Order: sequence, then structure tokens, then C-alpha cells
Amino acid sequence: MAEAGGVGGAGVVVTGVAAVAGTGWDLAALGARTAAGEPAFTPVTRFDAGRYRTDLAAQLPGDPVLADELVSIVGTACEQAGLGAAERAVSPLLVAVHGDPAVARLPESERTGPGAIAASIARRSGLGPAPRAYMTACVAASTAVADAAAMISHGRAHRVVVAAGYLVEQDNFALFDAGRSLAPDGHVRPFSAGRQGMLLGDGIAAVVLESAEEAARRGAAPLARIAGWGRAGDAFHITQPDPEGGGMTRAVTAALRKAGRVPADIGYINAHGTGTAQSDVAETAALHRALGADAARIPVSSSKSVHGHTLQAGGLVELAVTVHAVRTGRLPVNAGYVGPDERCGLNLVLDRPVEREVDYALTLNSAFGGANTALVVARV
Amino acid sequence: MTTTTDTALSIVDLSDLSDLDLSTVELEVLAEARWPGADPSAQPAPLPGFVSSSFAPLIAQAADDCLSQVHGSAPAPAERGDRTAVVVVSVRGDLGTSTAVAAAVDAGKRMPPILFFQSVVNSAAGRVAVTWGLRGPVVCTSPVADPVADAVAVADLLIADEAADEVLLVLVEQGAEEARALLLGRAAAPLTGTAPTSTALTGTAPTGTASTGAAPTNEQRSSQ
Repeated sequence: MAEAGGVGGAGVVVTGVAAVAGTGWDLAALGARTAAGEPAFTPVTRFDAGRYRTDLAAQLPGDPVLADELVSIVGTACEQAGLGAAERAVSPLLVAVHGDPAVARLPESERTGPGAIAASIARRSGLGPAPRAYMTACVAASTAVADAAAMISHGRAHRVVVAAGYLVEQDNFALFDAGRSLAPDGHVRPFSAGRQGMLLGDGIAAVVLESAEEAARRGAAPLARIAGWGRAGDAFHITQPDPEGGGMTRAVTAALRKAGRVPADIGYINAHGTGTAQSDVAETAALHRALGADAARIPVSSSKSVHGHTLQAGGLVELAVTVHAVRTGRLPVNAGYVGPDERCGLNLVLDRPVEREVDYALTLNSAFGGANTALVVARV
Repeated sequence: MTTTTDTALSIVDLSDLSDLDLSTVELEVLAEARWPGADPSAQPAPLPGFVSSSFAPLIAQAADDCLSQVHGSAPAPAERGDRTAVVVVSVRGDLGTSTAVAAAVDAGKRMPPILFFQSVVNSAAGRVAVTWGLRGPVVCTSPVADPVADAVAVADLLIADEAADEVLLVLVEQGAEEARALLLGRAAAPLTGTAPTSTALTGTAPTGTASTGAAPTNEQRSSQ
């Protein structure tokens, strides 16, 4: 198993959560739009995308600066958590980012790496040290959350702030176009017949995680609990998912075990669901292997169908969406659906949000390199 | 998109990393390899599926040299591979690939599809995982301060959290064109801080294990 035994996570709570995505939606708006299944994709304005398979992406207004957006979102999350300057100063920051296209154009001797962005965000936000940036592609943010939760559950930190960001830019747009991953029909249709690929999106998010004891000591109200986390690799292919979903199966199983839960306890799954042909089939296979008969019962949606694939930020944006869904009891719609794919037999949330109290939800992410993560979010 | 960073340039020379200190964690070094070895002009073997950058070949070369000491030829035995994580640590990441991507975009050229598949560090980590059958977590980081200390902290957390029993840790920096791979495992038994087998690796082969648990890890130092 990827993660054996343990009952960690019993005391890791979310006391601050903030996100900006779509066309500039804050978390309340993002939650409402994902619940309704209203996609945010519009023609790209930051560069000429006319030469690519699609010119659509979900974008914040204008041409925002990633570091500035990260500082802003960290401030929002810390404010919600009620952290004063002294408490921020001793709270380490974990950041998930890819890099900086501007830096890629400097002479090699002058270049910095993603860690430099993390250090800058920590300093500007008045937080404690940022030991590192996570550049684990589409599981970068969820990996940072798993590490933060592990740090807290093992007593290595009382509180950790996690931030992640991606803003649509031409380098990655051109790469995903070259990889034939973008949907030429301009729709993200996870798990649906006729799905043609993904669309990119801006995403900026931050969470404050801390031990339940520390939150109680401060009088901070938990918004949700990170009950479990798991991660495992496919070791199948450099870029293709294991068609049998081996790594994701073990990641989900490990997360459930750490949470002390069984599949019957899970009431919602925010799937990775990129809308690409192979990835959705592999994820479906993993869910059936990990959850058994409950895989056909649990409501599933991919909010990427609304806010797009936010790459390194995806794990945190989707965690924020999942926390919002659990808190509001409105489970997001899997937008873009046009009909069943027999290889994607899941209980998709279609047409309108499912109104239901959910005690435990899963949010899943996968990445190149066969990396998979699963987080269990608990209602408080 | 524009982004800003204002942290001073940090370039790591892995040949200068003489401070690998495991005295604060319950880990032991099972194998270690450096690239280049005795011949500083040596080039890593070309890696099928990767172009325009030495980043992935450096990782693969160091990883292969390290893991072959323990497992012989690939893959690793399933029972160990299933519980081995792959952690790639690089301050500046894959300079060669990002240069090639930026050049293609700026020149208005068609982006070579192969660059998409190697555009994230995960691809190089995944190459090692596929070759050796390593099915633990895949983690890629860009450390801020001491790269070795932070890399060890990441590995220590994975093992302490039971996400893995062993961690293949690969530190790589282009420019210096160096990579260093370590296979780390849980220390066999807790030792006291005065144990003569204490390992503070000094750039040579590992000499033993160490675990005091007395000194705080990075996370402990940075926590409230």
C-alpha cells in the first residue's frame, strides 16, 4: 500500500480557505458557479491564441501578476483564519507553482527557480519561512496539502499555510496545444461521450491548516477537516495514466485508511476529470477498484468543467471547491456532459447540483510521472 | 502573464554539498551515487524521449547508478518498489526545457510535441519510477534554503507519515551539470547522539546510520 496504517488527520482542520478562479470569482462565486455548472471559458486576451486548437481559457480579468495574486489570496485566507502578525510570523508557507515565464527568458546564470517565488510570497505575506516550492505538476498543490497535514499530524508544526497559483500564459498554452490536450470544441466534458480534452484556467488559492488543538486555543472556528490523505505512483508510463488506475487506487485507499473511513462514508468526489480520453477512463477504473460497489453510488463531478485545468494550483482550487460543497451541501455539476461513455460508469452530478449533506468527500488529482493524490475532506 | 520574484539568485554546486546531516532524522543511507563521478567531463547517457536538456538524463543517470547498487538491474523487487517514493529536488528546475519552450514561443515556431511531455519535472521522476517499478509518492520540489537539508526533511516526512518505506532522493542542478541520488530508508534502530556510527555524510560514501531525534527538523524549527 502507498500509506500503511495510521489514524493521522484526526486533528487537522481548515480555518481559512480562499480562492479566485473563473472570470474573477471569489470562493463564494466559484462555489455557486461550479454548483450550477456554468463554465467560465472565454477567448484568451493575454496573447494571440488564434494559432492554437482553441483560443479559450478561464481567465481572471486583465493580466494579473502571479506573485501579487498569491500574496492577496494568502492574506484573505489568513484573515479568515483570524491570524495576527505574530501568528503569521511563525506559520510556515508551502507554495505550489510551476515557474515564471519571464525568468525562462533570462540568461541561465540569472535564473531563479520556483522556490524563489515561495520565499518572496512568504516574506511579503509576513509568514514564517517557506522551505520549498512544490513543482509536482498537477499534483503540486495537493502534495503540499498532504505534506502540511502530515507536518501537523506528526507534531512538526501547529499551523501551515498552503498557497498555489497558475495564470494562463503562452508557454504552457502552446505546450498543451502541441500535446493535443486542449479541447478543440471549446468544452470540457469530463467522463462524457465526445470529450475532446481540457481547457486551461487561472487559479489562485490558499488554505490555513492547523491542529484542532491550536485552532481551539485561538478560538478559531474550523471550516472543515482534512481527515485523510494518500498518494502513490503508477510506475506505468512517463505521461500516460495506468489504464487500470493502479496509483490512484492506492492513493484513495491510503487516504481512506488514514481517515479511518470506508467507501460507504464518502458522499461526494471532486474528481481530477480532465476531460481527456485516457485519463478519465483510468480514474474511473481506480474509483471502482478503490471503492467497490460504492463507486456507482457516490456523486462525482469534475469542477474543471467550469474553472478549467489550473495545473499546479488545481489541487488547492479543487480542495476549496470541495470544502465549499461540503459546507453548503450543494454538490457541483459535472458540466459539458452530452452522453454516457460506458468506460466511465460513475454517478455523475448532471444538470443541477445535488442538494445533500455530506460528511466526507474525496478530492483527487493526477499528474505526469504517474503521480496521484487523494484528500478526504470532512464536514465539521 | 508577468510574474515577479525578488529573491537573490541561488545557484547550487552539488559537488560542494558536504553537509548532508542525518543526525536529526531517523533515516539511513542505503545507497548513494553522484554524477559525474571521477571524470568530471563525463556526460550522462542520452535518455530516449527527452531532448534539449540535460535535466532528465542527469536524474536518470544518478538514479540508475544509485539503485543498481541495491537492486542490481531494474526493476526493484515489487515489495520494495511499491513502497519506494521518488523525490526530485532542484533549486532552479529544468532550465534546458524551459529555454527551449520559451524560444519556440518567442520565435513563433510550432512547439515540438516532445517538449510537452518533458515540460514538468514529474516526467523525469516518472521515468525513474517506471524503469525501477517505484510506486510510492512522486514529489518534486524547489527548495529555498539548504537544498540537502530540505530534501532530507521531505523524505523524512514521507517515511514518518508511512507514505513510503524508502525514498529515492535525487538532487539535480543544471549549470553545474551535477546530480546526486540517495536511497534513504528508515534507520534500523534509534541510536543515541553519541553513537560512534552517527552519520553526518561528508561527501563520501555513507558510513552508518544516525538518529537522535533531539534536534528539530526544518518543520519543527519553523513551527510555532
